[in-house]
Amino acid sequence: MHCHGQNPADTPGGRPVILIGNPNVGKSAIFGALSGRYVEVSNYPGTTVELARGKVAIDGTETTLIDTPGVASLLPRSDDERVARDVLLNGSPWAVVQVADAKNLRRALLLTFQLAEQEVPFVLDLNMADEAEALGIRVNAERLAQILGADVVKTVATRGEGIAQLRALLASPRPVTYRIRYDGAIEEAVARIVELLPDTLSGRRALALTWLAGEMLQGTSRLPGAAADGNAGECIRAIVAEAAAKYAEPLGYVINRQRLKCADCLVAEVWSAPAKRRERWAEKLGRLAIHPIWGWPILALALVGLYQFVGRFGAGVLVNWMEQTLFGQYVNPFALRLAQLIPFELARELLVGKYGLITMALSYGIAIVLPIVFTFFLAFSLLEDSGYLPRLAVMANRPFKAMGLNGKAVLPMVLGLGCDTMATLTTRILETRKERVQVTLLLALGVPCSAQLGVLLGMMAFLSWQAVLVWLGVVVATLFGVGWLAARLLPGRSSDFILELPPIRLPQLGNVVVKTLARLEWYLKEVLPLFVLGTAVLFALDKAGALAWLERLGSPVVVGLLGLPPETAGVFLIGFLRRDFGAAGLFTLARAGQLDHTQMVVSLVVITLFIPCIANLLMIAREHGRRTAFWVAAFVFPFAFGVGGVLNLVLRALRMGF
Amino acid sequence: MTKCALCGYEFEEKELACHSKCPMSEGCAIICCPNCGFQEVDESKSEVAVLIRRTWQAITQWHQPAQEKTR
Repeated sequence: MHCHGQNPADTPGGRPVILIGNPNVGKSAIFGALSGRYVEVSNYPGTTVELARGKVAIDGTETTLIDTPGVASLLPRSDDERVARDVLLNGSPWAVVQVADAKNLRRALLLTFQLAEQEVPFVLDLNMADEAEALGIRVNAERLAQILGADVVKTVATRGEGIAQLRALLASPRPVTYRIRYDGAIEEAVARIVELLPDTLSGRRALALTWLAGEMLQGTSRLPGAAADGNAGECIRAIVAEAAAKYAEPLGYVINRQRLKCADCLVAEVWSAPAKRRERWAEKLGRLAIHPIWGWPILALALVGLYQFVGRFGAGVLVNWMEQTLFGQYVNPFALRLAQLIPFELARELLVGKYGLITMALSYGIAIVLPIVFTFFLAFSLLEDSGYLPRLAVMANRPFKAMGLNGKAVLPMVLGLGCDTMATLTTRILETRKERVQVTLLLALGVPCSAQLGVLLGMMAFLSWQAVLVWLGVVVATLFGVGWLAARLLPGRSSDFILELPPIRLPQLGNVVVKTLARLEWYLKEVLPLFVLGTAVLFALDKAGALAWLERLGSPVVVGLLGLPPETAGVFLIGFLRRDFGAAGLFTLARAGQLDHTQMVVSLVVITLFIPCIANLLMIAREHGRRTAFWVAAFVFPFAFGVGGVLNLVLRALRMGF
Repeated sequence: MTKCALCGYEFEEKELACHSKCPMSEGCAIICCPNCGFQEVDESKSEVAVLIRRTWQAITQWHQPAQEKTR
């Protein structure tokens, strides 16, 4: 077992070499090139974060080499970043090698500045130098070394280039001498905090800046000896509060902005890239897509296009052909003739009856939902391949912040539009259990997955734009209301949302076709069997006389509260398995003219607020425990009916028939 | 190596978490980026993707000799 304060006896002086860097910069490749084959992987104590340890020979003497998880900053926002920071601060390193992507020097320098403030012996490794060169990027490593006052080396880890030079530089690493001069108020606060800390403590300036940047609680627990005994903690808090009062924005943001400014100055001096003339339109579009004003019309345009393609073409033209021509003229008549050959009445009904596997399950799954999800998957793949989805996350971050949600919560919410079950898994990136449960609840409550969104868009083809606005308004208001309330009940510091944006590009036809068809394959393998199962359950309930009993039982809610026909009870029953299956049932009722526009809006709101699918509920149980899953379900289902009931009463009272 | 379309993170299949965690992961050809969770298609597990790739290879192989003959 390894402990972060441990000094292994088999290393000279017991001081390791630590590799640190942003994600995806080739740290593991550098680790492999320096350490050779022997690697020991173990969890960092108290976490599930893995650390790779090996040996590196420096001037003929072996010492420990530690590969840390990728970090964006030394102000940690995840377990990975916390471990990397702790290894660095508690490991008393012989040398810290920052592995950087030569193509993205600006991002690397933000970390370099923080390492400089830590005053650790340092070497900057500009890795992927070949990729940078291929793109026409030039980095003046000598000038950068001169400015930083520390060694800089270019490497191509995958080919072993520059590794010998890096190994040689590890014999005499030196701390960076370059220092950022922050605003007067920040520098003054730093100086006052440093005065309170013991002289023996290294990296006092970095510690002061960490506290000012907002990590006060975690930071003061590291106050050593005398400082911790006296009133130092209280004094530091007062200094931080005093400095923070001088700025409208959080101090962490101000400090980061000043670091970015310095990074830009350095990049301008030592780094150059050829002008990307061919990509100008894409860069412009990418910038506009996240613009605080222009981003919204672009989002509206994308949604209108999606609605026209999925709602009008998929749910209109394609569904009509599939249902009336393919199933109406060929599949169903053929199945009926085939069923006549079956001597058992029950088996015949199971295949072609009211709740028949062919007439209902396949008809819903293939004739109605398949064309809709096909068009939606195609549109989704186009958006995904164009690089627009990450920008949608950036746009969504603004209203979510207004709601009071943690910045990091945006990602699972946007990912939920792809698959809620997977998005529930990604709530792990959130820091506290309360936040994870909060976002899981919102995902289960009102974020439809791709298949469900497709069917919902299909339903909207029957509605006027006013009715669509009412549906959208109620769902969004419910999400915001629950999210806002949850954020008030679960207070906590909101974190920054950092996402690396890929460039906007023309979608590649091959990618789009393969992704669309593979998603359809997933739909047919995973969703269609659930449709068959749901139909079989309905058939069994119908034959046992339980369906009529359930319809009578649900009548006060379905008919009385929601104002819907009694048949919708069966639709909501199958909606428990999958929301889109229930929505497909509503779609059929709407096409048959059994629902008026008010009833369609009410039923759509209820089914949208349902838990997405049985897999999602199982995932909630696995991630948060059965008790939480039970409470989420116990909240969501009655809440969905409650919101639908209130909407029905309001629409009827206002005589809104659309 | 797969590169995530959302965050640009490069990862290998062994790093995947949801395949072993999702209760309906058997036969699932959807992979999730371990960095941000964004879903993509694992073409090596998708029969349709394999079929498309093979068909495409067959077309290009058939097309190349045809081009050589015309020369």
